[in-house]
Amino acid sequence: MSTRLGNWLDERVAWRQVWSAIFLRQVPKTNWLYTLGSASLFLAINQIVTGILLTIYYVPTPDHAYDSVQYITTQVTMGWLIRGLHHWGASAMVVVVGLHMLRVIFHGAYKFPREVTWFTGVFLLLIVIAFGFSGYLLPWDQKAYWATTVGTSIAGTPPLIGDVVLRIVRGGEELSAITLARFFGVHVWVLPITLLILIGVHLYLVIRIGISAVPKREE
Amino acid sequence: MEEETKTSRRSFLSLATWAIGGLISAGMGIPAIAYIIGPALKRAEAEEWIRLGSVAKVELNAPTLFKVKIERQTGWIVNETDLSFYVLTENGRDFVAMSNICTHLGCRVRWIADQEQFFCPCHNAAFSKDGSVAAGPPPRPLDRYQVKVEDEQLYVLGG
Repeated sequence: MSTRLGNWLDERVAWRQVWSAIFLRQVPKTNWLYTLGSASLFLAINQIVTGILLTIYYVPTPDHAYDSVQYITTQVTMGWLIRGLHHWGASAMVVVVGLHMLRVIFHGAYKFPREVTWFTGVFLLLIVIAFGFSGYLLPWDQKAYWATTVGTSIAGTPPLIGDVVLRIVRGGEELSAITLARFFGVHVWVLPITLLILIGVHLYLVIRIGISAVPKREE
Repeated sequence: MEEETKTSRRSFLSLATWAIGGLISAGMGIPAIAYIIGPALKRAEAEEWIRLGSVAKVELNAPTLFKVKIERQTGWIVNETDLSFYVLTENGRDFVAMSNICTHLGCRVRWIADQEQFFCPCHNAAFSKDGSVAAGPPPRPLDRYQVKVEDEQLYVLGG
């Protein structure tokens, strides 16, 4: 039955071709360091799922942000788990993506013809860091408030444009409801969409070009 | 022979991948469902004894209105709600506490002393002194609450 359904669907959408292109492709002899990219993808999926779940209860206003996060953590069934996965997943994401980049550098895997894969990867790293920075404010506790006060003040350091940039980032002179709302908007709309597009390009290129082998000593 | 071990290794790894993937999905999916439906399954907070005031305030043979404020929590937001009860006594020892909410559509009823009836302004319903329906559309008498007296203070069980 499932084979017949698979055939019926394959005749129309050619999913087997897609499947084998993604999962049955030829790879050189690799080692465990080559799993860091997949680990990053796994963590990204974890962040997306738990992030969507958190928005069910989280409210991004100064009146409710802290209380709704406390509600999730202490009252909602499994809320501690969902928030914990998102919280620790965020840290793990930065670490694993960083290691993934180091592996690519040490293996020289950014060279021709994989430069574009590398560029998208660099942007993905920046996106991940932006995710971490914007997400840090959302619990709206003392640590979040002051960390973001300090963090955003860096945007004010360039000469001439610094003040304007800082005002745009904060949505005003100081951290306020406006800052919280725009950080939330960036965290749940702008960054995820950018992330998904870049992951799409990144993975397309990984599959299109294939992965590089471990460089040999004599090369 | 070698051919056979190769295919069995391949199928074993494939199966293991699906099994681990399924395990992780279940580990994520089941808590996710619990997380989403959790608040819906929570029972309304247990009823508690609400203090209305001194028993001396209750007039003999005339329903006396008591107003109290109680705190109700929905999610992370705590609201103050006003509750009203009519308390009736015929001998100063046994008390009947009635809701002031009309059993028809939830409007507030008012005791009209001249007519010795509760009157609901919404659809001209009337309840007699003990809360039974005297006229109009209400399907049942006014709701009653369990009452207790402690240290000359009147309590009702509600929430």
